[in-house]
Amino acid sequence: MSASLPPEQNRLLGHAAECDGIEEYDNPLPTWWLGILYGTIVFAMVYTADYHFVNHRSQAGEYDAEVAAAAITWPTPDASALANVPLTPELIAAGKAVFESNCIGCHGTDLHGGVGPNLTDLDWIHGGTLENITKTITEGVPAKGMITWGPILGPEKISQVSAYVHNAGGGN
Amino acid sequence: MDYDDRSVRRFIFATVLWGAVGMLVGVILALQLAWWPANLNTPYLTFGRLRPLHTNAVIFAFTGNGVFAGIYYSMQRLLKTRMWSDKLSAFHFWGWQAIIVSAAITLPLGLTEAKEYAELIWPIDIAIAVVWLAFAANFFGTIAIRKVKHLYVAIWFYMSMVITITVLHVVNNLALPVSLTRSYPIYSGLTDALVQWWYGHNAVGFLLTTPILGLLYYFLPRAAERPVYSYRLSIVHFWGLVFLYIWAGPHHLLYSALPDWAQTLGMVFSLMLLAPSWGGMLNGLLTLRGAWDRLRTDPILKFFVVAITFYGMSTFEGPLMAIRSVNALSHYTDWTIGHVHSGALGWVGMTMFGMLYWLAPRVYYRPLHSTSLATAHFWLATVGIVLYVVAMWAAGVTQGLMWRAVDANGLLQYPNFLDTVRVLNPFYWIRLGGGLMYFTGVLMLGWNLFRTSQSSATTTAIQAA
Repeated sequence: MSASLPPEQNRLLGHAAECDGIEEYDNPLPTWWLGILYGTIVFAMVYTADYHFVNHRSQAGEYDAEVAAAAITWPTPDASALANVPLTPELIAAGKAVFESNCIGCHGTDLHGGVGPNLTDLDWIHGGTLENITKTITEGVPAKGMITWGPILGPEKISQVSAYVHNAGGGN
Repeated sequence: MDYDDRSVRRFIFATVLWGAVGMLVGVILALQLAWWPANLNTPYLTFGRLRPLHTNAVIFAFTGNGVFAGIYYSMQRLLKTRMWSDKLSAFHFWGWQAIIVSAAITLPLGLTEAKEYAELIWPIDIAIAVVWLAFAANFFGTIAIRKVKHLYVAIWFYMSMVITITVLHVVNNLALPVSLTRSYPIYSGLTDALVQWWYGHNAVGFLLTTPILGLLYYFLPRAAERPVYSYRLSIVHFWGLVFLYIWAGPHHLLYSALPDWAQTLGMVFSLMLLAPSWGGMLNGLLTLRGAWDRLRTDPILKFFVVAITFYGMSTFEGPLMAIRSVNALSHYTDWTIGHVHSGALGWVGMTMFGMLYWLAPRVYYRPLHSTSLATAHFWLATVGIVLYVVAMWAAGVTQGLMWRAVDANGLLQYPNFLDTVRVLNPFYWIRLGGGLMYFTGVLMLGWNLFRTSQSSATTTAIQAA
C-alpha cells in the first residue's frame, strides 16, 4: 500500500462496522481538483459580468452583428444592376439550366405554367421587362407561393435565369 | 439478519428483461435511421412513436429497476435492517412493472403528452407518483428503523434521487385533463419549455447520475475490497452535485426564446458541474489503488472501470457542450445523441452490468455460471459503445458544419436537409453495428444470470457474505 503517503492520508475513519464492512480513508481533496472547482466558479462570475454588465452582449446583438457583417461581405443583389447585362446566348443557356433545376416544378418544362403562371404569353402580372422579371425572381411573391430566390440562387444565377425567362418566355 | 433478497431478485429480473426490450427497440430505431423501410409502413412502429418507448424503457425500466435492485440490496445491509415494509416493497415492484407495461402500450398507440422523457399520459403520471411515494415511504421508513447511527454516503446519494425525482415528476407533469388520454400542461410557451428542461436535465442528474454514484460507492469498494479513497471528497462532491445540477437545465435552450440571463445561468452552472462530477470519478478510480492487478481477471472491476471512465468523459463533454459557441455547433445534431449514449451505455449500463454480476451469486446463493461469458460481454459492450459514440461524434460534427457552410456568394452550401442525411448514412450503419453488439451483450448477461439462478451448485460461503 502507499507507504510514501503521509500517515494522515491513510487514516481509516473506522466506519466499517456501520457500513457493511466498507472502510473509508479521509484523504484531502486533490489540489488540482480544487483548482478546477474554484477555477470554474471564478470563470462563471467573470463570464457573467463580462457578458451582461461590461460588454452588454446578447443573443439579439450577436444576430445583428452577423447580419451586418454578412451584408458587407455579400451585398444584396440589386435587381436593376443585375438586369443591366448584355443578353448573350451563353447567359441564356446557363439560365435554362438554372430554370430546369429550380423552376419547372411550378412553371413547367415548357414554361407554360401549372402551379405558377404561364411565362410564355404576353400577360405579365408583375411586369415583363428584364428588370421586372429579375425583381420578381429576386424578391419572390411569397403571398402566392413564389419563393424569394435572391438569397437562394445568388446574383449570378438570378441574372442567368432572368435572361432565360425574358428570352424564352416572350418578355417585352 | 433476515434481509429481503426476493425483492432484489425480482428487480434484477425486471432490469434484464426491460433492458433487453429497451435496447432492442433502440436497435430497431438505429436501423430505421439508416434504412427507412424499417418503419414497416405502419404508424405504430414509426420512429416518432418508438423513440419515446426506447428512452422510457431504458431510463425508467432498465435503469429504474436496476437502481431499485441495487438500493434494496445495499441499503438493508448498510442500515443493518430488513426493508421497513414487505407489502410496500411488493407494491413498489408490481406497480412499477404495471407502469412500464402501460407505457409500452400507450406510446406505440400515439398517446403522448409530447414532453421529452415525460411523454406518458396523465393517468400513468398519477400512477408513477403513487408508486414512487410508496417507495419513498419504504425508503425513509427503513432509514428510520436502522440499526446503525452513521449514514453511509451511498444512502445520501439514494436520498437525493428519492426526494428530487418526486419534485421533478410532479411539477413537470401538472396538467389539466380533458379526457382519459388527453391533457394540457398548466404552463404555456416558454415557461413550459423551461420547466420541461429543468425536469429533463435533472432526470439525467437524479436518476442516471446520483443514484448510480450511490450504487458505485457501495458496490465498487465491496467488489474491489478496498477502502473508499476519500470520505471528505465524497461529501464535498455530493453537495456540489446536488446544488449545481438543479440550475443547469437552461443549457438545453441555448439560442432560443429563453432570456439571455437564463441562458447564461444554464451555461455557467453546467461548467461549474465539472469538478463535482470528476470528484465521483476520482473517488472511484483512486479507490481501486492496490486492486489494479485484479482488473486483469475480474470482469466486475473491468465493468466498473469503464463505467467510471465514461462518467468522467461524458461529464467533461456535458459542460463543453453547454458553452454557447460549442452548443451553436452541436445542438440538434447527432453529437447530442452520442453524448447521452456515452452516459447511458458507458456510465449507467456498465455500472449496472458490473453490479448485476457481483449481485448474482449473492442473491441466487450460487456461483456465477460463467466468468468468461461475463468477460466476453464486457468486451462486446465496450467495443459497441466506442463504435456508437465515435460514429455519433463524427456524424454530429459533420452535420453541424454542413448546416452552417456557405459558399463564396454567402449562400447555404447544403440548403437541402437531405444533403446531410445522405452524408450521415454510413455513420448510422456503424451506430447500428455498435448498438447490436451492446444489445447482444445484454442477452449474454440474461443467459448467464438465468443459468446461475438454475444451477444445482450452492455456495454457503457466498450466502454468508
